[in-house]
Amino acid sequence: MLGRLIEMIENDAASMAKDLKEKLLSDPNTSSYQTLADQALYQNIFEIYSRLGHWLLRDIEKGEVKTHYSSIGRQRFEEGFPLHEIIQALVATKRHIWDTMVEKGIIRTTRELDSAVDFITYLNRFFDMAIYYTTLGYYRELQLQKAS
Amino acid sequence: MELQKLLEMPNKAVWRRIVLTKKIIDLIEANALQLSREIKMELLLHQSTRSYQNIEEKTLHDWIYDVCSRFSYWLDEDREKGEVQQHYKNLGKERFRQGFELPEVISALYLTKRRLWEFIAASRETDSALNLNQIVEASFLLVRFFDHAVLHVSEGYEEMLHEYGYEAPLNNPERLAEAIAAKEKRQKEFLEEPKLPTFSYTKGMIRLSYYRRG
Repeated sequence: MLGRLIEMIENDAASMAKDLKEKLLSDPNTSSYQTLADQALYQNIFEIYSRLGHWLLRDIEKGEVKTHYSSIGRQRFEEGFPLHEIIQALVATKRHIWDTMVEKGIIRTTRELDSAVDFITYLNRFFDMAIYYTTLGYYRELQLQKAS
Repeated sequence: MELQKLLEMPNKAVWRRIVLTKKIIDLIEANALQLSREIKMELLLHQSTRSYQNIEEKTLHDWIYDVCSRFSYWLDEDREKGEVQQHYKNLGKERFRQGFELPEVISALYLTKRRLWEFIAASRETDSALNLNQIVEASFLLVRFFDHAVLHVSEGYEEMLHEYGYEAPLNNPERLAEAIAAKEKRQKEFLEEPKLPTFSYTKGMIRLSYYRRG
């Protein structure tokens, strides 16, 4: 059942990524994202949604999350993004998943609700790690710059 | 909850929201001491929150207790007012002055959230005050609260970094406008590049298509 919820999101990844991209580009709280090429931004989001199962379930030790998001934090620092906008974008990415599930009425029965509780646990754990490691990567790069 | 918003909601939804809010507050308040103790142990032992080991135990306990009770306050009264947002912005500034690294502060908030969520989610196993629907809705409120907390702590912390000489370039409106204009110019140039033909052979047919260099 949990797998089914994740699969539904993965199958809808393209349209969800397109919707979220438009939201990020029009939100004044994530205005730095307007400096990214549209296609690159879309790909970043699509990569999360289309491989949600991998991120939530298979990267159990969070090794890839640590490497990937620390790298994104460093990259965004180099690109001059304010950190709070990066966090806002990741929060919006997470929220869009939940909003889509609610909008499509994916969770209806008691069994699905039970799986939803598990899904929420995994989803939050992934995005908490993503935000933490992005912040860590950004902050370490900032410290290096201050030291040099 | 603001009266205006309450009046706009259908009556059943209003009643459900009020009942749920009260149940979550009661559940957390009844277990606040135990929860604070458990979260404190986690912060003291976790590698991502090492600076918290230098804080007096009573102070740390009070900080954690404050987060739990602020969540209750936010549920009950503050979701629209923004006092909690201002509190966490100030907290970000305070933690900067105290010498904490921002990743540690964020990790501490997430460890706190995780423990609160585990506590709420575990109530589905017992004969508890919350049914499954309410647990799912409670998660939504918990996540939203901590999203605000983390975001505004980061804003406050960044304001202090700015006072001490660092500002993210794209925080400056002129630099942002320049960067956006540069991106739009690059995209325009990419679209206007001359197309070159290429031939490929698929399914027994020769296909002619165009690609752009680079």
